Amino acid sequence: MDIHGKQKLSKKTSQSNNKHTAPKNSQPISKNIIENEHLFKNIFNNCSDIMFREVKIHSQVILLFIYVDGMVDTEIITTNVLEPLLYDGLPQGLGGIESLEQVLEQERFSVLQTKKLSDVEEITEYILKGNLAIFVDGEGNALLADVKKFETRSIEEPSTEASLRGSKESFTENLRTNTMLLRRIIVSPKLKVESLKIGKMTKTDIAVMYIEGIVSISVLNEVRKRLKQIQIDEILESGYVEESIEDNHFSPFPQILNSERPDVTSSGLLEGKVVILTNGSPYSLIVPMTFWNGLQATDDYSERFLFVTMIRWVRYIFTIFSIIFPSIYIALTNYHQEMVPPDLMLNIAVLRERSPFPTLIEVFLMEFMFEGLQEAGIRLPKQIGPLVSIVGALVIGEAAVSAGIISAPVVIIVSAAGIASFIIPRYSFGFPMRMLRYPIMILAGVFGLFGIAVGIIAVLIHLINLKSFGTPYLTPVSPRNKHGLKDVLLRWPRERVNKG
Amino acid sequence: MDLKTYCCDGLESELIRGELLMKRIGRCIIVLLLILFSTTGCWNLKEPNQLAFFTGNGLDLTEDGKLEATVLIVTPAGIGGGQFSSGDKKKGYQVVSATGKNVSDAITNIQSKLSRHVFPGHRDIFLVGQRLADQGIGETIDPFLRNAHSDLRSLIYLVKDAKPEEIFSIEPFFDQFITTSLSDEQTAIGIKPYLAREFVIDVLSEGTQPLMPVVSLNPQNHYNFDGSAIFNKEDNVKLVGFLNKKETFYANWVKDRLSSHTLTSFINQGDGTISITLGSFKRHITVKEVDEEIHIDLRLSGKGTIIENSTNLDPSKGVDLKLIEDELEKITQKAIEKQIKMVQKKYKMDIYGFGESVHQQYPKQWKTIKHNWSEHFSQLHVSVNVDLTCNNPGQANWSIYP
Repeated sequence: MDIHGKQKLSKKTSQSNNKHTAPKNSQPISKNIIENEHLFKNIFNNCSDIMFREVKIHSQVILLFIYVDGMVDTEIITTNVLEPLLYDGLPQGLGGIESLEQVLEQERFSVLQTKKLSDVEEITEYILKGNLAIFVDGEGNALLADVKKFETRSIEEPSTEASLRGSKESFTENLRTNTMLLRRIIVSPKLKVESLKIGKMTKTDIAVMYIEGIVSISVLNEVRKRLKQIQIDEILESGYVEESIEDNHFSPFPQILNSERPDVTSSGLLEGKVVILTNGSPYSLIVPMTFWNGLQATDDYSERFLFVTMIRWVRYIFTIFSIIFPSIYIALTNYHQEMVPPDLMLNIAVLRERSPFPTLIEVFLMEFMFEGLQEAGIRLPKQIGPLVSIVGALVIGEAAVSAGIISAPVVIIVSAAGIASFIIPRYSFGFPMRMLRYPIMILAGVFGLFGIAVGIIAVLIHLINLKSFGTPYLTPVSPRNKHGLKDVLLRWPRERVNKG
Repeated sequence: MDLKTYCCDGLESELIRGELLMKRIGRCIIVLLLILFSTTGCWNLKEPNQLAFFTGNGLDLTEDGKLEATVLIVTPAGIGGGQFSSGDKKKGYQVVSATGKNVSDAITNIQSKLSRHVFPGHRDIFLVGQRLADQGIGETIDPFLRNAHSDLRSLIYLVKDAKPEEIFSIEPFFDQFITTSLSDEQTAIGIKPYLAREFVIDVLSEGTQPLMPVVSLNPQNHYNFDGSAIFNKEDNVKLVGFLNKKETFYANWVKDRLSSHTLTSFINQGDGTISITLGSFKRHITVKEVDEEIHIDLRLSGKGTIIENSTNLDPSKGVDLKLIEDELEKITQKAIEKQIKMVQKKYKMDIYGFGESVHQQYPKQWKTIKHNWSEHFSQLHVSVNVDLTCNNPGQANWSIYP
């Protein structure tokens, strides 16, 4: 058997296969199976879920199986690997057999993905990811068979991006399921999936997806560059990636769109964006993002355009509303009483008559309580969830007003602004609106309408300067793009948009 | 969205530039805030419960000739508002008066009676006492209406034979405050509301004299809409005379300020009265120069429906309807002609705004005559042409009692 030649060959293949991930100080495994066993038992010291199984066949050669219990499909191992070996023995005399490995790989294994590796560190990683490692005595390579099988969550309905008409699929925690979902929508070889691993401890699989020919090369290169620069120990969620590659950490606005919907993600791909999928996170990251992406809902594209155009405007108005409504109330009642219609002003005056706090403090108190309610609502177990709404509605709404602690208009204003911030289809895009409310409220309390104007000017200056992977955040409004505006101001019928 | 167009290659330098920009934005905002401090700030802050909103405001002279200001102040604690219903009921408003050497002094004196800051921004009604009007309101009213906080959209009335205080003290019929009733009154009777702003415009204009609506107190201790008052702006906006209700309607028609009116007339041929509710009024003034004399050709038109008919005419017949229309037109035309003559002879005040039409149509001639326009107005030759159209009355054509 020409072991040496085989070894050289396999080294070459393993090197070319794992150019990116191969560590520099690679340590090859030994040819002696006992030594190998010792080596790996040392590595997996105190890891009770790592299984070692020795196999003797005709008391000739010893095979060693190493795998993580629970991550491999034991049935495949038994029926496809063990049984034939144990019952039939090694095939003999078929000619051209160079090593037992080859036999196993070519004749015995009805497993799709196999790999030959000799580097200890690499083998360790593959074992930990659910591969079965097979060591053959006397051979310097380990055969790794992909027999992964572990419990995952099934594809469920999207929970944060519900839609009435669109598809009801959402991503899961499993990267392969997610790429499959996208591949199923975009049936084209131009859909590319680049993989890399990030995180020193977690070695999380990241997939960068794009459509060749449509994707903006500069964005793609920038994504690759920024991903490579990530130097952290763990990537547990797509948010880790988002934070590591976003343009401006201190902007209240998210610069990377996240979505748990394959259809939204694939529409992003088709628009020439780059999608980053993270193993373990049911959210995809879509770059670059614009301001308007945050205000577009999935149903916008499934419903008829006239209605959607109307709803979009409702959304735009409510978005502005959610930022400045409390501030406008403060400014008008404290500084510009003549601007409020007389009857309304008198009503407000009546209701404010017994309020102990200044308007600004009142609104702040209420907003603060509202944020608290919102946060409590997310964390509470489902069984006591209704409690929050009862406490919120009765105690804070009703009782605070009738006790004269908070005036009724403030309750109305704060809840209206709260509802307005929920109208934003992307949950994370509602955060900037919620945050910006406070500084603008202070400005309104100190300077009145002029303060609000300055606050809005400041936000607009920031938005115009903000860029997401090189794309101005307010595209296509600023810089203006007539073609793009048809999908912002309206939701012009697709055919006509394509006509230009 | 076409992303490629906007993607820049030098992303890194872009990032550095972005950081610099953020710093510059920060500076910009600080500068903006500093500028803000010079214009406004918390020292201007007034909570609604630090303000005394007044919805009505009156000016008059006392018997010994002192200027007296009256305000109708809203007392929020007295108004409904479910949550404060407990305890003794307060009145929803208070009427406060004070005298002073001038308007500001009087308001300062009112302020000294109140624990809250007077706030005129929500004034609905501005009342002028007759005694003050007799003396001329030009000087008095000016600082008042031009105060930056003053609401020029408040309606202006002259109080005839009463004091503004008495009008404000009337217990309103429908509304919370009498001022609300007064501000709805003109719309209800079909005249476009006469705002303080329009009064100011009339006074500042070259060719029109103000015609101010009048309210008076009736024996049931309620107010009455009582025609309108004619002022002479050339003489410190002094009150010169009154028009009664009917005359007010005609005058407003000529002024193009009428929105609906019910006309009732005795028809000789039909031996009974007929009432017609008119709407969509139109006015057209044509100025002609005949022998260096200015002739005004006034065309008035209105459309309406017959609402009451005690004549023996049948409006559903074309002949009878024409007869009714002709008769009404004739009566109206005569009445308006008579009224214009009366105003020309008695008051010599161009309340109709003919001067403005002359100004527009003969701007050159206007320059020579505008200085003594009142004289020219009294000599004007005005021809009136009324065109009334009755809609088909349908089934409501004659009385059920034969």
